[in-house]
This record gives sequence, structure tokens and C-alpha cells, in this order.
Amino acid sequence: MELQILWVALVTYVLAGSLSIIGFVMQRKPERAILALLVLGVVLHTTAIALRWERMGHGPYITMFEALSSGIWNLLLIYTLVYWRIPAIRATAAIIMPILFLMMGWMMMFTPSEVGHKPQVYHTIWLYIHIGFAKVFISTVFIAVGISGIILSRRTEYGAMRFAHLPNDSRLDDLSFRFMAVAMIFQTLMLITGAIWAQDAWGRYWDWDPLETWAFITWLFVIFSLHLRHTYKTKPHTGALLVIGVFIMAFLVFFGVPFVSTDFHQGVGRS
Amino acid sequence: MILSKIPTSGSNIPPLGIPSPGLPTPSSNVALRILRALASLKLTLVLIILLLAGVLIIYYTHTRFVWALAVPFIGFAINLAATVLTNPVFRRQMALLIFHLALIAIAVLIALDWLTYLKGRIEIVEGETFTGQTMSEESGPLHNRRLGKLQLTNENFTVNYTNTDGRLRRTDTRNQVAWVAPDGRSGRSVIGDQEPLLLGGYRFYTTTNKGFAPIFSWRPADGSAEKIGAVHLPSFPRDYLQQKNEWKPPGSSTSVWILLQMEEEIFSRDKPSELRVPDKHKIVVRLNAPQGDNDQRWELKPGDSVPLPDGVLTYQELRKWMGYDVSYNFTLPWLLAASVLAVLSMAWHFWRKFSARPWNPSSGNPNSGNTNAENPGPEHFQQAAADTTADEPGK
Ligand code: HEM
Repeated sequence: MELQILWVALVTYVLAGSLSIIGFVMQRKPERAILALLVLGVVLHTTAIALRWERMGHGPYITMFEALSSGIWNLLLIYTLVYWRIPAIRATAAIIMPILFLMMGWMMMFTPSEVGHKPQVYHTIWLYIHIGFAKVFISTVFIAVGISGIILSRRTEYGAMRFAHLPNDSRLDDLSFRFMAVAMIFQTLMLITGAIWAQDAWGRYWDWDPLETWAFITWLFVIFSLHLRHTYKTKPHTGALLVIGVFIMAFLVFFGVPFVSTDFHQGVGRS
Repeated sequence: MILSKIPTSGSNIPPLGIPSPGLPTPSSNVALRILRALASLKLTLVLIILLLAGVLIIYYTHTRFVWALAVPFIGFAINLAATVLTNPVFRRQMALLIFHLALIAIAVLIALDWLTYLKGRIEIVEGETFTGQTMSEESGPLHNRRLGKLQLTNENFTVNYTNTDGRLRRTDTRNQVAWVAPDGRSGRSVIGDQEPLLLGGYRFYTTTNKGFAPIFSWRPADGSAEKIGAVHLPSFPRDYLQQKNEWKPPGSSTSVWILLQMEEEIFSRDKPSELRVPDKHKIVVRLNAPQGDNDQRWELKPGDSVPLPDGVLTYQELRKWMGYDVSYNFTLPWLLAASVLAVLSMAWHFWRKFSARPWNPSSGNPNSGNTNAENPGPEHFQQAAADTTADEPGK
């Protein structure tokens, strides 16, 4: 049952995405229809995840399928909120949605397996707070990626023409770095709550395990890009490349490191 | 858009180079110049890269190569302190100042932690009392060791398991302990998993490292007093195929191998079960003879004895031992407080900065507006003179 709802949600997302791409090519702005579809998709997706959670007895973060599903969910939840509240970013849908299509395709390559067991250390409230901050962090960077995509695509004639109605590059750059600043705050909160969780679970707040280390390196990249932009007054397209670099890094850390090493954090290893 | 060359305006704060009250007079211009050089934001970038390199070194060499982190951290502290002293931005922007001061505090606290921490592993058999002897430990040069002044008795513990899809999974650990704190207070607690025992600033956590320990009594041939000893066998169930250990009875020169042979399954194959001492088991004792000649072997049940060359060894019973991590980090709550302060002030800073200008820049002529506050655009940016981008050292 929950799988059917999930597929309907994905189809709804695909419709929203297609509409935004069509709007981009035809130079129309079917923004209300896109917003409605996004909201519907997120509601359905939330239902599917809640049903699975109820049935499996653990949240969507054990298998790769679950991680991708909840990853797509949180990116779209926050994107939809921002799409609704900050019309200035609506044009990014034509860039954001195709990236999400790739993630959805990737998710379909995994079977929604039934196994999954939550190690003992996962029974703490800090886990949810920690994961929540992490999700807001990556979603916010993701929105900056959409804006950066517009800045970069405007360097082509086609992109410049299609996105001509938007504010100029340096204002978009400013907007994009606002999202990066918000992202940095949540990323810092993620690191702090992660340390609290680690202290709770394993009696050490920091131990340089792969995920901790790479999350910290990503944080340094974010700090570096904020300071670089501030110190050198980087051009919008340089800023855009920095943002995309940060996102790729964060994405690899999110979906790469936990699933390359056998456990989310190494400390979980012993039995 | 190269607007950064346009001189700062709309600010009544003296540009850098003109010393503000409290800073050195022109006669000590050199000091000021050094201070300003140290306050360079370009140096901050270099330090971030150094820290990145340090992290990678630590991660890939698996060492606690402290200097890889200490150098960039000390650099940050100097860089930040110089910036706080010389950059007028910090006199105008309380939030940013608090944020960077919190960063300095974090750097100082981490350094203090390095100097005073302790991290160790201990193992205690059920019924036994820990009095300060760790299996292994490391500590900072200024750690004031008080582990010997406290007592911790492992009264008993349970570890539960489920068996799903043929895989054994540990669930929860509960450990009843009795303790005496360095100040003489005493009490009993139940700890386990994420609940440590806090004693005299030390935290004791149960770990997944636990196993069986045969208890022996040893009566030396020379007539001296009988002693009781426990042999900790390797971690169970992780090393279930390796349940043996080499041991020398106290004061003896004879080395023996102690092996546990279980004659029943500890864990159920289809329902939840608990780690327990096997009722049916025997202990095999082998003389550890150098060339394998003279190889003697005994199988013991509780109460059985073995005559060794310099004494009599009697097997008493089988118990469980629990492994603990013990740590001391007195800076922990302060570190947390400083981090929270840093995040809050950073959020405050960005909140002020962003609410000075709308989130939805007006669309329209792509060649008109700009984002840099040095040159406020006509419509949106009037309030932006107070923006953080207005002052920039080193320009
Ligand atoms: C260690 C040496 C550091 C120095 C000397 C330094 C200095 C500065 C200065 C002068 C500003 C500019 C304020 C303004 O004009 O608006 C600034 C901004 C900022 N710094 Fe640092 N900083 C340091 C490290 C860090 C670190 C490690 C972080 C990491 C969180 C950080 C985060 C920020 C943020 C978020 C801003 C605000 C940027 C903006 O308003 O766009 N700084 N810093």
C-alpha cells in the first residue's frame, strides 16, 4: 500500500518537474500549478513514509532505499516551502527538478527491502534532532544550487534569454549565499547535536570516524566558501561554482560515506 | 561587478590604519601594522586550508598527531584576536563580535581539553571492584588522576539479544553498579548503553566488549596464602571461536592456557535471549610447555583442581566480565555552551543582515541593481549601510 502511494507521489513530482521544464522552454510561468503539484506530492510522500515507519518500527534511514526516499522527501518539503514563500526562487524549479529526477531514478534501482534493524545507539532523541538539522542543511544548499544553476546557465545565450526576466546575477548570487548562510547555521547545529549524540551513545563526542571527519571537512568547505566570497568579493559565477562544489561534497558525504562503511558511524560496529 | 574598489561610505568609524583609542599610538606603528597583518582575512583562508590538511592527516594516518590541528587552531586564535582588536566591524556588530569571541572560546576549550583529558578502558568481573587499574589509558599532560580514589563494583549485568533472519542482534545493556566517589559518598546505580555513571568527573560507559571469566583459586606450593584470580576470556559473542587465554597464576612461573568449552547454546535461534553463563561447560587447562612435549591437559568442572609444578589450581566458577570506557573531559559542558552561543550569535548576525534587505529582490532590468552595500542601489538597499559587507579590512 505504502509503495503505491510512494509511486503516485513520485509521478506527481515528475508532473511538477515536467511542467516547470515546459514552462522554462515555452517561457510561461505555471507557478501555481507547480506549487499545487509539489504540495500534493509532498503530502503523499509523507503519508508513504509514515506508513512504512509505522509498519517497520524504524524511521527511513536504515537502507539505501529509505535514505534516498527520505532524502528526496526532505529536499522537496523544504523546496516547496521556499517555493511558496520566496517567489524569487521559483525559476529554479527547471534546474532543481531534473536533479531530483536523477535521485528518483537512483532510488528505483534499489529494492525496498524489508530488513533493517536499528542499533541500540539509535534510541535517543538526539538522533532525530541531528538528522533533522542535517536535512535542513542539505536542502538549503540544494536551493542555492538551483540559483547557482541559473547564474551559470545565463552564461549561455539560451539561458540568458530564458532567464532574462529574473533579477541580475549579483542579486541572485546574494540570494544564493543567503541560503548558504542559513545552511551553515544548520550544518553547525548538525555537528553540535551529532557530537552530543556521540557522547551519549559511545562516550566520546568526537572520534574522527569517516562520517564525522567528512562532515567536518564539508563544514570547513562551507566556511571557506563564505569567507572567500566575503574576502575577495567573488564574481557571481565563481560563487555559483563554490555552491555547487559544496553541494556535491555534502551529497557524497550524505549518501556515500554511511553506505560505503557498513554502519552510519563506525562506533556502532562492535556487537 | 567590481564594486569593492569604491571607498567605504556611510560609516563614522575610522578606517583601519587610524588607531582607535586604546590601540598603540603612531609611534608604535610597526606593532599596529603587524597586528593588522595578523588580522588579515586572507590569513583566515590560509588557516582554514591548513586545518583541512590537518584533518586529512589525522584521518589518514590514524594518529593523534596533535600539531596538525594545534597549529591552525593557534593560528585562528591569533588571527581572530587581532581581528577583534583592529576591525571596526566588530565594534559595530555585536552579534558578529560575540560569534567570533565564542569561536576563540571554543579554540581555548579544545586546547584545555587536550591538556586535561583522560580516556581509558577497564574490565570488571561481576562481583569485583575497580580501584583505579585500567587496561589501557591515555591522558593529557595536566590531567590530575583521581581514578585511584574512587571505587566501582560491577554487581551484575544483562545484555539482551534478538534473533531476526538468522542474525543475532544486541539490544539493550543494563548494569547494576555500586560506587564510592572520591569524596567518600557512596551509592548504587543502574547504567548501560547511553547512560554512563558520573563519578568524580569521570564518566563510565558500559561497552559492547564483554565476556566470560573463569574464577580460580591458587594455593602456592611454598605454603603462602591462597589467592583468587579471574581470567578474562576474549569478548563474547564477537570472538566466540577464541574462548581461551594464556595465564600465569599470581606469583607462579608456570604459564597455562585456559579454554572454555560450552556444551550448550547460549542464544536461542528463534526468540529473544540474554547473555548468560552456560550451565553446561567445562574449563580445559593446558600446561604451556615450550616444545609441545610434556603436553598436559585437564578438563575441569567447578571444584576440580589441577596440580601444577608450583601450586594447586582450583576452578571455582564461571562469571561474566564487562568492559567499560572511562573518560574525563571537564570542558564538555563549556564547549557545548560556547558552541550554542556561537550558533545563536551567528543566526542573529545573519538575521539582522538579511532582514535589512528583502528576500525577494524585484525582478526586472538585469543590469540595474547590485548586491554590494558599498554602493547602495536606489530602491532596496537604503538600509544596507549597516550591513556587514560595508567594512572590509585589507582593501
Ligand atoms: C579564525 C579566524 C577568523 C577571523 C579572523 C574571522 C574574521 C571575520 C571577519 C572580519 C568577518 C567579517 C565581518 C563583516 O565584515 O561582516 C567575518 C565574518 C564571518 N565569519 Fe569569520 N573569522 C574567522 C574565522 C571564522 C570561522 C572559523 C568561522 C566559522 C564559522 C567564521 C564565520 C564567519 C561568518 C559566518 C561571517 C559572516 C559572513 C557574512 O556576513 O557574510 N569565521 N569573519
